[in-house]
Amino acid sequence: MSALGGPAQTGGVQPPTGMGLVLSIVLIIVALALAFFLVQMAGLIALVGIIVGGVLIAFGVHFVPVGGAPAAMGQAPGIATGVAMLAAGAGLAGLFGGAWAAPFGFAVALAGGAVGGGLLMAITCTMVNVIYVFGMGIPAASGKVAKDPITGDTFPEYKSQGTEGHGLPFISWVGGVIGGALGGLGGTLIYLELLDIYQAQLPVILNVTVEQIASVAISLAGIFAVGMFLMNAVLAAYNITGTIEGPHDPKFKRFPRAVIAAAAASAVAGIFAIALLGLVGVF
Amino acid sequence: MSVKIEVGAGGIPHNQILIYGLVGSLVLIYLTYLNTITGTQYFAFFGGLAAVVALLWGTDTIKHLCSYGLGTGVPSAGMIALGSGVVGALFGATTGILAPIVAIIVAAIIGAVAGLMANNVVRMDIPVMIVSLIELAIVGAMTVLGLAAMACGTFEFLGMITGTVVILGFAVQTYEASVIGGSIIAVIFMLGAIAIQHSFNACLGPGEQQDRTLMLAAECGFLSMIPVAIISFAFIAFLPALVALLVSVIGWIYTYVQYIALSKRDAYAWLDAKPILEPKGGA
Repeated sequence: MSALGGPAQTGGVQPPTGMGLVLSIVLIIVALALAFFLVQMAGLIALVGIIVGGVLIAFGVHFVPVGGAPAAMGQAPGIATGVAMLAAGAGLAGLFGGAWAAPFGFAVALAGGAVGGGLLMAITCTMVNVIYVFGMGIPAASGKVAKDPITGDTFPEYKSQGTEGHGLPFISWVGGVIGGALGGLGGTLIYLELLDIYQAQLPVILNVTVEQIASVAISLAGIFAVGMFLMNAVLAAYNITGTIEGPHDPKFKRFPRAVIAAAAASAVAGIFAIALLGLVGVF
Repeated sequence: MSVKIEVGAGGIPHNQILIYGLVGSLVLIYLTYLNTITGTQYFAFFGGLAAVVALLWGTDTIKHLCSYGLGTGVPSAGMIALGSGVVGALFGATTGILAPIVAIIVAAIIGAVAGLMANNVVRMDIPVMIVSLIELAIVGAMTVLGLAAMACGTFEFLGMITGTVVILGFAVQTYEASVIGGSIIAVIFMLGAIAIQHSFNACLGPGEQQDRTLMLAAECGFLSMIPVAIISFAFIAFLPALVALLVSVIGWIYTYVQYIALSKRDAYAWLDAKPILEPKGGA
């Protein structure tokens, strides 16, 4: 028993099925209606925030240059690990930045999350290139485009035979930073929306002050943000199937599929997270 | 360029493992409820055993799913499992004695949505995708719920957010010193994620044997139990935590020795190895 077929390796991008599209729209509408029914306007706004956050994460993942195992051998451009790992690193760094900045207000926290995620990817991409250039002795050359869209550097003369390119060209570096920033922004948005809900509900249910319950609210919002972040990142990874070089890669054009999938998945996971405290004390 | 993932044939059929895993983890997690009935905390370690059984089942599911060649690496499956599972586990925990059953249902719903999105919108078109993601979400939920129950002695939400600290000889109830308030849930999340994604990732390839992979899964599960048992000293009495630690350490040593023996067996079987045959048309 070995690879039994797997994803269809056709040339073009297969559009989502009609059933899939209808199902995702229905799921999002049902989840929004439930959120309004359970927690009124605050729930509706929170769920919209969670869906937007999930979409930002799934979209951001497509910018990140992922090389996988071939990149570790210098046979493909990108960072030498999987999509889920890279997205988790950038998203969690962004989430830490955003959670730290949460007391300073909504906009500052979102900016903190974006800067945290972007900073992690900037450091990672720079160090990856330091290792590629000075450790492995290979120049940066993309295999998908002949010319860097930003710097105008040409690649074919530097590309080794039999490889799909190697190293991390500047366009991939920029893509990585944008992807990290979008991922951090999305993760922080989910965190802040859930934190608002829990900080409003927990003191009422347990009859205590907001300060006493702060650690529980922060922890719950944080773990749900991490969980939803990983769900959306893996769905985006499934959309990419393997490696991507960054925004100039032809695979980047697949992102609408991941955006739809992430919106529906975050809506369903988000409604359970928002309704979490509805049943406390009932049983 | 994709990495070919090979799995061995034979062994226990997957559906049998599914039933054992589901029923076994459900029964074991309910055994922790004996704590509430008898008023002791000695039964906390059953939560960890439930997590180990769930991890065995999850490893076999990952093997089943990843034999189709996802193109994103095996760990991504573990990440989506815990990401969707933690929402189900914590939502379930709020329903008192029904917690494990509600956690299974909620996790199944989230897993089903993720699977439908992956197959119909992202167009993975893998026949076992939906079923596998449902199973993995349930596994993630049972792992989180089991390890959380092991850390604080109960699977109920109020028990997870309340703890006691002794100040000047007086026991004071507080929300900070608890499994969720102290963000121990995040540690449990990662311990579960590492345990579920490692075993098949380490054992895949030619000559993969089901008993060896599953033994490594049990070893990873017991290894994750050890830190949780040490954490549980903070939340439950000394003797019950010591019992949990002993169970984890003994379980880990036994499974580790067994795993090394199985590895030696398979390494020996490889001595008269034949050349690895390339499948027709490539992987």
